[in-house]
Amino acid sequence: MKIAFSLIALVAAMPATAEESRQLDAHEHGVGTLNIAIEGTNVAMEFHAPGADIVGFEYAAESDTDLAAIDAAVAILGAPLELFVLPDAASCSVVDAQAELEGEDEHDDHAEDDHNDAGDEDHEDHADEAGHTEFHAEYILTCDSPDALTGITFAYFEAFPNAQEVEVQIITATGAQAFEVERDAPVLNLER
Amino acid sequence: MILRLSIASLFARALTVGMTVLAIALSVALFLGVEKVRTGAKASFADTISGTDLIVGARSGSVQLLLYSVFRIGNATNNVTWESYQDIASRSDVEWIVPISLGDSHRQFRVMGTTTAFFEHYKYRQGRSLAVSDGAIMDDLFDTVIGADVAATLGYSVGDPIVVAHGLASFSEHKDQPFRVSGILEKTGTPVDRTVIVSLEAIEAIHVDWQSGAQVPGQSTPADVIRQMELTPTAITAALVGVESPLQTFALQRAINEYDEEPLLAILPGVALQELWGIVGIAETALLAVSAMVVVTALIGMMATIFSSLNERRREMAIFRAMGARPLTILSMLVLEAMVMAAVGALLGMIILYVGLFIAQPILDSAFGLWLPIDAPSLREVWVILAVICAGAIVSMVPAFRAYRMSVADGMMVKT
Repeated sequence: MKIAFSLIALVAAMPATAEESRQLDAHEHGVGTLNIAIEGTNVAMEFHAPGADIVGFEYAAESDTDLAAIDAAVAILGAPLELFVLPDAASCSVVDAQAELEGEDEHDDHAEDDHNDAGDEDHEDHADEAGHTEFHAEYILTCDSPDALTGITFAYFEAFPNAQEVEVQIITATGAQAFEVERDAPVLNLER
Repeated sequence: MILRLSIASLFARALTVGMTVLAIALSVALFLGVEKVRTGAKASFADTISGTDLIVGARSGSVQLLLYSVFRIGNATNNVTWESYQDIASRSDVEWIVPISLGDSHRQFRVMGTTTAFFEHYKYRQGRSLAVSDGAIMDDLFDTVIGADVAATLGYSVGDPIVVAHGLASFSEHKDQPFRVSGILEKTGTPVDRTVIVSLEAIEAIHVDWQSGAQVPGQSTPADVIRQMELTPTAITAALVGVESPLQTFALQRAINEYDEEPLLAILPGVALQELWGIVGIAETALLAVSAMVVVTALIGMMATIFSSLNERRREMAIFRAMGARPLTILSMLVLEAMVMAAVGALLGMIILYVGLFIAQPILDSAFGLWLPIDAPSLREVWVILAVICAGAIVSMVPAFRAYRMSVADGMMVKT
């Protein structure tokens, strides 16, 4: 009885606690993040980009063209070596690649004005339907000669015209480093 | 021949030349000094922490958390509950975790509560471990390990009793719980040198008789009773984390950042340092630009003195010309004079810099924890000196060319 009661109490309490904690991630249009961790021949990559950068909209897609755009984007994001071109000498291959679109449930007032100029009524509409969306992708690669990973060419900017910048964090045996790669100079040099 | 003439001529005007040389010397010393401080500060910051994959603390900013937890400067971040710490520590991707608890002080030095794992996992200067120069790592509740600067400044040796104060100011000292120095660490050039390290339990023990920051009057729990007490900490300031595999770092970082029960922040120390340097970098460049302008000013000052010397040397030039010196000889003599001045100035600047470094090194180290290595001049510094000499030559071209054109006509004419 006591156990049953505490179970009920626990279940009853769960939605309440879920509602009490409210937090949101950073969301900056035009800026994606790419995290790379290298250990031996294993390379793990994570990529996040706002929906605005990838497909140009962040409302919940309903029309066929919007849905098709999302599908196409997810397909492109599923091929990491085409987006983030690694040197041939490193001979990297993809072990696993996953890409998806994630919406954010929580959404307070729309602070940014820069990303939607469609007019006020339209603005309110989509603020009700959905908030910001983000594309997430995770990749696992193996590189036969990781020492040859001397740079990354961001073909990503050619694939997605709305993307302006990628913040890159790289963890290697020597520690963590951060870089910024911009559309104007889409090549990241890792040689020191 | 020309060089000898130049030098003799410079000696003849020793006072003005000396002033010009001094101006150049000071400007060069300033420029190279700024450069030294800049690279020294950067290296000494970057060397402070290595081998730690993540620093976890209350949600604030990455730079603030780094500055407070590692460098113990800036504003205090919020504390992290012991429960959250336990949650993170029990994750499978965490290889090791070292809690840090700040907030008390001993004289002007910070007291840091931690576990003995700190000595094992805290690394500085590309993976060097802390080493005990005297005594041993604490193993009793009231044992403390002190940094090299603490020992040197306060004259402590192993076995000495010390009193830990509540808060940073020592207006209310925890007089009842006398701690004992159990070990002194070797000098590291990091903030650890200026830290008194105690166990997490000791931090709790200090506060046994204290309620809301003040001692309960007439109450003093004997040390023996405290030893019997349950001294599990309720909160820590931050934690250093090592991950099992670098591949899991980002996942662990995200998990901590999205931890529902408490707003936490996990930062990559290297990235936070870079971020910090991105902010400081602007001021740094401005400082360098200002000191470069000082060098330029000194060189222009030299040009002005050469110009004014042309007037008093009209006769001299004319006599040279009359004796058969070609205009080019006059020009090269003036340029050479300027180059000698610039070279002597630059070398004197180097000497001033090194003398200054010898004097300032211990002061900077103890006051700011900034260690400026005294090395032989780097290639970059040699280039700076060559650049100053060249700039001196170029600047002197202007008055020299004037002398080149005027020398005969000017000096030969009888003026009344």
